[in-house]
Amino acid sequence: MKNLRIAIVAALALGALAQAQGTLTIYSGRSQGLVDPLVKQFQAETGIKVNVKYGRDAELLAALQEEGARSPADIFWANTSGALGAAQPLMIKLPASITSKPSGFMPGSGTWTPLSIRFRVLAYNTQKLKPEQFPQSVMELPQQTQLKGRIGWTPTYSSFQDFIAAMILVHGEAKTKEWLEGMKRLEPKVYPSNPPMMEAIRAGEIDVALTNHYYIQRFVKAGYPIGTYYFAKGDVGSLALVTGAGILKSSKNVANSTRFLIWLLSPKAQQFFPGELFEYPVTKGAILPTTLNPLDDILARSPKIDFEKLQLDNALKVLREAGLL
Amino acid sequence: MRASRRPIPWHFLIPALIAGAGVLLPLAYLGVRALEADPRTLAELVLRERNLRLLLNTVALLVGVLLGTALLALPLAWLTTRSDLRGKRFWTVLLTLPLAVPGFVGAYALLGATGPSGMLEAVLGIDWPRPWGYWGAWGVLVLFTYPYLFLNLRAGLLGLDPSLEEAAQSLGYRRMEVFLKVVLPQLRPAFYAGGLLVGLHVLGDFGVVSLMRYETFSYAIYLQYSASFDRVYAAWLSLMLIGLTGGLLWLESRLLSGLSFSRVGLGSARLARPVPLGPWRWLSYPLLLVPVVGALLIPLATMLYWALRFPYENRVSVTEALANSAQAAAPAALVAVLLALPLAYLGVRFPSPFSRLLERTAYLGYATPPLAFALALIFFSLRGVPFLYQTLALLVLAYALHFMAEAIGPMRSALYQAPPRLEEAARNLGFGPLQAFLKATFPLLWRGVLASLALVFLSSVKELPLTFLLAPVGYSTLATQIWAYTSEAMYAEAAPYALLIVLFSACFVGLLISQERRR
Repeated sequence: MKNLRIAIVAALALGALAQAQGTLTIYSGRSQGLVDPLVKQFQAETGIKVNVKYGRDAELLAALQEEGARSPADIFWANTSGALGAAQPLMIKLPASITSKPSGFMPGSGTWTPLSIRFRVLAYNTQKLKPEQFPQSVMELPQQTQLKGRIGWTPTYSSFQDFIAAMILVHGEAKTKEWLEGMKRLEPKVYPSNPPMMEAIRAGEIDVALTNHYYIQRFVKAGYPIGTYYFAKGDVGSLALVTGAGILKSSKNVANSTRFLIWLLSPKAQQFFPGELFEYPVTKGAILPTTLNPLDDILARSPKIDFEKLQLDNALKVLREAGLL
Repeated sequence: MRASRRPIPWHFLIPALIAGAGVLLPLAYLGVRALEADPRTLAELVLRERNLRLLLNTVALLVGVLLGTALLALPLAWLTTRSDLRGKRFWTVLLTLPLAVPGFVGAYALLGATGPSGMLEAVLGIDWPRPWGYWGAWGVLVLFTYPYLFLNLRAGLLGLDPSLEEAAQSLGYRRMEVFLKVVLPQLRPAFYAGGLLVGLHVLGDFGVVSLMRYETFSYAIYLQYSASFDRVYAAWLSLMLIGLTGGLLWLESRLLSGLSFSRVGLGSARLARPVPLGPWRWLSYPLLLVPVVGALLIPLATMLYWALRFPYENRVSVTEALANSAQAAAPAALVAVLLALPLAYLGVRFPSPFSRLLERTAYLGYATPPLAFALALIFFSLRGVPFLYQTLALLVLAYALHFMAEAIGPMRSALYQAPPRLEEAARNLGFGPLQAFLKATFPLLWRGVLASLALVFLSSVKELPLTFLLAPVGYSTLATQIWAYTSEAMYAEAAPYALLIVLFSACFVGLLISQERRR
């Protein structure tokens, strides 16, 4: 009986503590399977009650646009710079306490902060192909006629569209269209997302795939015969893609939101991205698993472009004209 | 018809109008958004040759899946109602369960099972060709949507008056002739209702066709929202899809008009005597096993196989998601049935252009892409009833309005079979219209009601876009968890949810089936 009373008092006290620390509401396009441990840890450390609405970038963004100033959300956390860019009018300018942390990829508008980095790579079936057989640049891929009918890609997927936007920025629209036409002659197979494409490599439906680096890692761990090929340094085929988050104008908890973003940029939270998700951190100092390249090396691989200048609209237009969207 | 001269009783008219209005809201929203379009861009995006191709792809798939599901569901429904097959209820539950498997999971698991070093080869040494393209999409959609038709046909078969068949037999018709000339024509309402759901499902499907690399119209709509984050042009494409659905609905209503299948005899209908299968029994088992193996056994086995192969990293807790799924889906099923009953009743008993139109609006709600439906509810709830926004109540209402069409069919089929004379007699005995309905007609609708509950429940449990956007913040269901983990290839974490969604649905369907004979 006494124990029960103590328990009740303790529970009430904890409840009061949580009340005192307030709450935080996040709309997260990053899936629960990936980032839930981070959210739980922040909650445990700070006592701030975090509510997360998980979904897909596009759907959550559409909801935020409908909700406008009435949105219950404080933070929008997304997988792609495209979604974050589109959400820019809904977000506040972040304070220097946040924007000073990442070692790069900060958007010029300062409305969202990068949180982790992924890279575009070529995945291949290690039982059928050798890395020596691949060209230095992704731009030469259309000339690899021996790969006809053996290539997989995801033209409807956001990362691929970012890649096309970067290609337009680096090589111009004409070259990009030429590249798409050349690729189409190799009869690539279209997948809606990356995991089914990895399954297709396993099943021999395709032997190479244009994908993001971290998917491969997970399938390699499960024993799939898939290797990672990096294009040459500075090649658009090795484009870096950032995930990130920003604080919404509708937020009534700007202090807690700021605290959450600063925490996500702390060494401990940043270590979570390479350690658990095989993604690269945006701050220096994290220890990378042996299957990942050193951070400086991988950053040098991505072409040097201003991410604010990536025009998703142009990429979509070119993809539509090529009949891929 | 007999009853149409009487004025429609307000007990039915008012709820029916409310249900119709609830479904039309999303259309109003789409109209608002569509009007924001810039005409030139609009013409570029909508009047593309590619859209025509997608439209043709969609229609081809629609026709194929309708034929496929009819050929599969009819014998299955007959076997589980009219034959002397043992364990009819057991088979009925099993054969309904493919509805519990979210389409994207089913299709993805079938892809994981097939091809070199797929699950089937690793475990059984069978290198089954991978499904893809038109036939891949066709096969997977038939496997996962035939239960819509199966449940409707079962309800229809169970409600048939066997004395008609006996009369035909006594006139010298052989059994097969009786089936073709007497039974089959009577199943028309069930065919139309089930076929309509299958058709609408095919029109709206995105998960299966994209994994099968077959492009349809709803694929284009989803891309518009997800690739360009654009609500305006997506609204146009959604309206075009709804137009297509309108065509399908018009066709169905033409086919339905003038039907009357109620009993005219006195007394209550008996159950038909089971037909002995004899040596045909051995042929019936492969037929029963095809959907069970293809849509349940192989997908679940693949999930387990993945779960053992992929590293397990997160601790998952299934109880909360299970409770959340139950809390949202069970009331949604009930509300949907309550909303659909007056619509079905008016459509059958007071046939007029108006009551037909009202009934059809329910199907338009079903045809509205769920993402657009969810955005519409955000739009209106924030403006009209902000205190309801992101509450469980709104989610339940959203499920109920969206899936109401699934509830109409089985009850409508049952209403066609319930003799209006019983109700008229009750009226003559001095009961009011509502009481007369409850005492004379409602008991005869029981099986239809159960089938309706099952359909809406199963659809709500596996629903994704409405749940993502309208559920209270932090509310995860079995389906959202399966999606969260499979989309990141975290199969070990997804497997328990996938098994649970099927088990849980099995319990619910089993409970409903066990009630079938109570009345």
